[in-house]
Amino acid sequence: MSDTTKKGVWSEPSAMGFIVSSVVFFVITVLVGVLVSLKFIWPEFMGTAPWLTFGRMRPLHVNGVLFGWLLAADIGVLFYMVPRLCGNKLWSEKLGLATLLLFDLIILAAVFTTLGGYTQGLEYAELPFVLDVGVTLAWVMFGVNIFATIATRKHEKLYVSLWYTMGAVIWTAFVWITGNFATELFTGINQANLNWFFVHNAVGLIFTPLGVAIAYYFIPKSAQAPLYSHKLSMIGFWSIAFIYVWTGAHHMIHGPISQWLQTVAILFSVMLIIPVWTVIVNFFGTVAGRWDVVKQEPILKFLMTGTTFYLLTCFQGPMHSLRTVSAIVSKTDWVVGHAHMAVLGAFSSFAMAGVLFAVPEMAGRKLHSKKLANQAFWLFLTGGLIYYVSLWVGGFIQGLQWNDTAIPFIDTVKSMRPYWIARSFSGLLILTAVGLFLYNIVRTLGRQGDGAAEAPSADVTPAAAS
Amino acid sequence: MLKKMDTSASALFLGALVFFLVGGLLTTVLPWLSEKSWAQPTAHLKDYTESEQRGRDIYVREGCWYCHTQQIRTLEADTVRYGWRGVDAPISVPGEYTRDKPHLLGTRRIGPDLARVGGKYDKSWHKTHFNNPRDLVPGSVMPPFPWIVTDNGGQDLDDLVAYMQTLGRGQDWRPDDDYEH
Repeated sequence: MSDTTKKGVWSEPSAMGFIVSSVVFFVITVLVGVLVSLKFIWPEFMGTAPWLTFGRMRPLHVNGVLFGWLLAADIGVLFYMVPRLCGNKLWSEKLGLATLLLFDLIILAAVFTTLGGYTQGLEYAELPFVLDVGVTLAWVMFGVNIFATIATRKHEKLYVSLWYTMGAVIWTAFVWITGNFATELFTGINQANLNWFFVHNAVGLIFTPLGVAIAYYFIPKSAQAPLYSHKLSMIGFWSIAFIYVWTGAHHMIHGPISQWLQTVAILFSVMLIIPVWTVIVNFFGTVAGRWDVVKQEPILKFLMTGTTFYLLTCFQGPMHSLRTVSAIVSKTDWVVGHAHMAVLGAFSSFAMAGVLFAVPEMAGRKLHSKKLANQAFWLFLTGGLIYYVSLWVGGFIQGLQWNDTAIPFIDTVKSMRPYWIARSFSGLLILTAVGLFLYNIVRTLGRQGDGAAEAPSADVTPAAAS
Repeated sequence: MLKKMDTSASALFLGALVFFLVGGLLTTVLPWLSEKSWAQPTAHLKDYTESEQRGRDIYVREGCWYCHTQQIRTLEADTVRYGWRGVDAPISVPGEYTRDKPHLLGTRRIGPDLARVGGKYDKSWHKTHFNNPRDLVPGSVMPPFPWIVTDNGGQDLDDLVAYMQTLGRGQDWRPDDDYEH
């Protein structure tokens, strides 16, 4: 297929457009995150206007990273992967570009609604109703494109990445509708239960299957080795399809919901080790014996650290859903460290690997600088580790202090200061890494006079995708 | 059956949907059907007044709920820490939240839990605290909200304080109704 496809920066405009858009938003939203983190150290930093307060900027960072960067990057990488796995082109580039336009309009509108204080008041579901409708429409458009590409495929066999992709499209639709529309029909604890169903499954059934789909494609391809075990991949897919959805209430341990629901969530949280383990064994099994390649290749480094953090995330998460552990760590900064390990350490690493592979491949060029990619990797890993570990240690101490009622609450806040300083420092490292990542992509695409460069396809102009 | 998934997109689609819906429905629809207490207000719960509702809207708009939870958990540390004047705070129950949309149970405690804060502090304390938290609590990382104190000729502050004073009074837990105003 690639032999007959004309390569160029805009030869696959939907995939490239989503990827470029996502990486730009990545830099911006990480910057916002660093600024927000500084407020923990200097609470009056940028504090003179309502729209610059923590309460407005924090959701901009969270939703910006999740949807502006990670979901958009995943969509872009899937638009690259799915046609290749199916042996045909994306069903409709026009539909893909329309999806991108709508998606970016929503992100930009969300900047104004978020900073303006227009919010539904539900975590990860802050967007106003009108934008929720827009996201739903964009997701349907994306889903139609994916399923139509698969339905018209030339290769009969469905590779495991396609299962995760199709699963994610289906699950996301239901999860999103539950979290952003069904919640509006209820009050109090009924609404809270739906909200946490959404929050948990946004990570578990949107970003996890998309990230795993990407890793299943790029690990064998980057390592130039066959997938270790097809059977393991089947066990992994079907167990995640069944198990993950049960665990939303583990965000409410010791809270005012029924004990049976908490217990069910805890049991299924522990069972999550099944799908995670099969994925880990498959990924490490595929790369076994090729660690010399991992040392040199930034893409494989992102993929294997992503795999490692996925394992750690899904060991840590079930453990802190246990009642005894939750009594210490729930509501503390430990949870923030955990969430960032998942989104940043695992799924963003997978997405970054996909971007680094797909962009040069689509453009028909070499990556501008492998050295830069390796530098970005080490900065990202170092910054990430400082982030996660400082908040786990700080959060655990915080939780122990909360359980000692002789300690006034304000003293537990003061004790977090060194960990928050470490967190902001790690944020600067991550921001630098992401900046290098963007620079690398831009230079790869923007290069002129390179022998491998080709003119854009006549029927698509760069403006159409930007 | 699973073998068919290797080549049939529609079979995979249906399988993924069914597997998801089993857990999805049992964790969302079933609790709503079986847990009637989640929708039954406690005897002491009152509807919000207009002022309290406006105050609540300000609380939501400013993102107070990102830093403060509103739930006393089934933990001794919570009941003791958030009690007051020698009385432990009662554990939160579903019936206290039925009037709340959005629910504001929260997930992070950058600041203390507010589930039982209603009536602990008087209005002048709140006014000083919203204007600059560090005037009253050195070391606090709470943002200053001077615009709340002054906007709409002070009405915003009145509304927000009115809402704050409702918190935790869905249960009758104070002896002699000893609330500050």
